[in-house]
Amino acid sequence: MKIGVYVCHCGINIAATVDVKAVAEYAKTLPNVVVAKDYVFMCSDPGQDMIKEDIEELGLDRVVVASCSPRMHEPTFRKAVQTKGMNAFLFEQANIREHCSWVHEDREKATEKAKALVSAAVAKATLLKPLEVMEADVEPSALVIGGGIAGIHAAIDSANAGYKTYLLERDPSIGGHVAEMCKIFPKMNRAACLLVPKMTEVLTHPNITVLSYSELLDVGGFIGNFDVKIRKKPRYVDPEKCTACGECAKVCPVKTDDGKAAIDMPYPFAVPRTYTINPELCLRFQGEDCTKCKDVCPEGAVDFEEKEVEEEIRIGTIVVATGYDEFDASLKPELRYDMYDNVITGVEFEKILLEAEKTGELKVNGKEPKDVIFIQCVGSRDKNVGNEYCSRVCCMYTAKQATMVKDLVPDSNVTVCYIDVRAYGRGYEQFYENAQKKGVRYWRGNAAEVYKDNGKLVVRAENTMLGDPKELSADLVVLATGMTPKSDARDLGNLLKVPQSADRFFLEAHPKLGPVNTASDGVYIAGTCQGPKDIADSISQASGAVMKALIPLCQGKVLIEPITSVVNEEICSGCRMCEKICVYDAPTFDEERGVMTINSVVCKGCGSCGATCPSGAISMNHFRDQQIFAQINMLST
Amino acid sequence: MEFVDEIIETGGPILGTEHIESLRVCMQCGKCTGGCPSGRLTAIRTRKLVLEALLNMRDEVLSSDELWLCTTCYTCYERCPRNVKVTDITRTIRNIAAKEGYLALSHRMASSYVVKTGHAVPINDANKENRKKLGLPEVPPTTHTYKEALQGIQSLVKKTGFDELIGFDWETMNLKE
Ligand SMILES: Cc1cc2nc3c(=O)[nH]c(=O)nc-3n(C[C@H](O)[C@H](O)[C@H](O)COP(=O)(O)OP(=O)(O)OC[C@H]3O[C@@H](n4cnc5c(N)ncnc54)[C@H](O)[C@@H]3O)c2cc1C
Ligand code: SF4
Ligand code: SF4
Repeated sequence: MKIGVYVCHCGINIAATVDVKAVAEYAKTLPNVVVAKDYVFMCSDPGQDMIKEDIEELGLDRVVVASCSPRMHEPTFRKAVQTKGMNAFLFEQANIREHCSWVHEDREKATEKAKALVSAAVAKATLLKPLEVMEADVEPSALVIGGGIAGIHAAIDSANAGYKTYLLERDPSIGGHVAEMCKIFPKMNRAACLLVPKMTEVLTHPNITVLSYSELLDVGGFIGNFDVKIRKKPRYVDPEKCTACGECAKVCPVKTDDGKAAIDMPYPFAVPRTYTINPELCLRFQGEDCTKCKDVCPEGAVDFEEKEVEEEIRIGTIVVATGYDEFDASLKPELRYDMYDNVITGVEFEKILLEAEKTGELKVNGKEPKDVIFIQCVGSRDKNVGNEYCSRVCCMYTAKQATMVKDLVPDSNVTVCYIDVRAYGRGYEQFYENAQKKGVRYWRGNAAEVYKDNGKLVVRAENTMLGDPKELSADLVVLATGMTPKSDARDLGNLLKVPQSADRFFLEAHPKLGPVNTASDGVYIAGTCQGPKDIADSISQASGAVMKALIPLCQGKVLIEPITSVVNEEICSGCRMCEKICVYDAPTFDEERGVMTINSVVCKGCGSCGATCPSGAISMNHFRDQQIFAQINMLST
Repeated sequence: MEFVDEIIETGGPILGTEHIESLRVCMQCGKCTGGCPSGRLTAIRTRKLVLEALLNMRDEVLSSDELWLCTTCYTCYERCPRNVKVTDITRTIRNIAAKEGYLALSHRMASSYVVKTGHAVPINDANKENRKKLGLPEVPPTTHTYKEALQGIQSLVKKTGFDELIGFDWETMNLKE
C-alpha cells in the first residue's frame, strides 16, 4: 500500500498555529506513507496537481489531505483523485483547521495534535474500501403541498419549466390566507388582483393537476421516486357538473354567522369553481331528511352518496408550502379577546375591511368605530406563549389597516401600540411614514391589558417615551396577531422526514447555504411554513425552492452516496430492532432468510441502526468499526 | 380639536401646511434632543415636546418652561432624518402659548425692547466695536440711525395687538407689574 500525505497551510490559517513542515516530516514516519508534503493552498490548482502527479508517478493508492473540514473540500479532493483513476472513497481528510489551528493558541501543542490527527487519518485510510456511487432514475414530476400564494407560484414555475406538477390543497379552494385579505402592503393592490389571475393560470395550465380538498396520507420512496398516497375528501358535489350558479346556497336552510350556507363556495373566485357541502353544517348529515339543494340544482351535481377516494402517484421531488396558522389570541387573556366582541384579530379585521371597501362604510358589529387602537406583537416576541420570534408582517399589516381606517373614517382616532416598528422591506419605511402622515398615532409601549369602563374599552399601556402608563379609551381594539406554525406541522414533518426548528416552523438544511433545502433529499420548503414572511418573500422563496426541486428532474438521474449501512447476514439474528429505530424505513426484514436487508437508496447512513443492533451485525460503509477503532487507537497513543 | 391639528392650522397659513404637518411623521429617534445646543445647558428636550404635541398633551406643552428654552438655532431642523420642521413647529407652538398667556418673562423682556428701541437686542459698546473692526458703520441703518422710524414700529405694535400680548404699559414704557 502506498499512501501520500499532504499538509495544507491554508495561507496562515493553519500555518500560523501549526508547524506544518514538522507535521509533514512526521507523516513520513507513518506506516505505508511513501510521500508527505506541505503546501500553501492544497485546494488550489497547483496543490491538486501535486496530488495528481504523485498518484501517477509514485502509484499512490490512498491519499490523505490534512487541511480544513471535509464539509468544505472533501468533494474537491475526491474529484482530484478520481481524475487519476483512484476510487473517490480511498481519499481521507484530516481536519487540522476547525479542529486544531482555529481553536488552539499554543503552537507546540497544536502541532502535536495535528500530528495525531494525521496519524489517525492515515490509519483509517489504510483500511478504506472502494465504494461505488449509485444512480437512480427520476420521475419527471413535482408535487407542491399547499395552495397558498407560495404554493401557487411554485406550481406555476414548475409547470412552466415543462414538468408535470401536482398542487395539493386541503381546503375546498386554493388561495390560502391571501384569498381573504383586502388590500396588500406596500402597494395597496387588491388581494384578489394579485391572486385571481394566478389561480386561473393554475386551473388552466396543461401541466398542473390541482388536487384540492385532498390530504397527504403517506409518503414512501426517495428523491426522484416518491410514492405519495392522497385522500380526496368527498365534496358531495360533482365539480365537473357544478356551474357555480349558487341556487343551492339560496335554498339551504343553514346560515352561519358569517353568512355561509352548508353548501357553499369559500369565495366567489374559488378554484376549482365549485360548491362543496360541509357535512358538519349540513342537516342531512345530522340525520335530517333535507334534500333542498339536490332538488334545486339544475345540473344534478349534488350527490350525497359520494365517498372519499384514495389515489397513489409517483413524484420526483416535493415542495412544501403549507403556510401558517394565526396566533390564538385567547392565549393572551389580559387582552380580553374572548370576552369582548369589539376586541378582534388582524385576520378578522381584514375581512371586515374587505366588506367596508365594497360598501364604503366601516362597520364593526353594526357600528362605525371612532376610537380604534391596534395592539402589535400579540403572540410574537413573547416567550410567555412560547413564541420568541418576530412575525415580521404585523407591523406592516397594522400600518396598512390603520391607514385604511383613517381613509374610511377620516375623523377617527387611530392609535398603534408598538414595541418597535420593524419596517425592513423596500418601501416599508415610507409606508409606515405614510400611516403617520394620515394621522395614525404611534404609541410606543406594549399594551398591558384591555378592560371595560362605563361600557367603553380601555387599553392600559405605558408610553415608554414618556415613562408613564396611561389609559386609552377605544370602541374597537385590533390585535395584530402573529403567525404560528401549522398545528399539524409535526405530522406532516414526520411523513416527509422534514424536521422542525426550535420555533416549530420547518427547518431548512442551512440558514445561508441551503435555505430552501431540508434534511430530506428531494423535499424543499417555501413560504411561511419555513418561518414568518410577507407575500413578496414567500413568492421569492417559492421560486427558489422550485429551482432546487427541478434540478433532479432536469438531470433525470440522482446520485446516491454509498455511505450507507450494511448488514452482516451471518451475525444478524433478525430481531428487527433496526427496523423500529430507522426514521427512513431503510431496513426491511427478509422473511425467507430471516435477516434484515437495507434499502441503500433510502438509507442516509445516519448510523442509528448500527448503534442499536444488539448483535453488532450492522456497520456503516466508510465508517466501519475497524476503521473508527484504528483512528481512536492512533489518537490515544 | 386635536392639538396636532391646531398646530397645523396655526402654523400652516404662515409657514405652509405641509411644512408644519411634518410634525406627524416624527419617529422619536432623538436626533434633535441629542444635538440640541441649548439642551446641553438647559432642560429643553425637543423630542419630548414633539411627542407630547402628538399625544394631544396640549396643557403640558403650552405651560412648559422648556418651550421657551429653544434658541431657534435650527440644528434639529437641519438634522431631523424624517425632515420634521422642528424649530418652526416649536415657534408655532409658542405662538399658541403666547396667546394663552404663557409667554415667558425673558421673551416678554426682549419684546419690550422692540417696542422701546426697535431692536430685541439693542446695540451696545461691544457690538459697536465689533462693527468697526468689520469695516461697518458703527451704528446700523435701523431705528438706531433713523430714530423717527421707531414711531412706525410702535404704531404697528399697537395695530397688531403685540403690546397687549406681551403686557406692555405705555405709561411707564415698561412691562406691566
Ligand atoms: C392579518 C394579516 C394581514 C397580512 N397582510 C399582508 C399584506 O398586506 N402584504 C403581505 O405581503 N403579506 C401580508 N400578510 C402575510 C401573508 O398572509 C403571508 O405572507 C402569505 O399568506 C404566505 O403565504 P403561504 O402560501 O406561505 O401560506 P398560506 O397563505 O397560509 O397558504 C398555505 C396553504 O396551504 C394549505 N395547507 C396547509 N397545510 C396543508 C396540508 N397538510 N396539505 C395540503 N394543504 C395544506 C392551506 O390550506 C393554505 O391554502 C398578512 C398576514 C396577516 C396575518
Ligand atoms: S415592569 Fe411592571 S409589569 Fe413588568 S415585570 Fe415589573 S412590575 Fe411586572
Ligand atoms: S429628530 Fe425628527 S424624527 Fe427624530 S425625534 Fe426629533 S423630530 Fe422626531
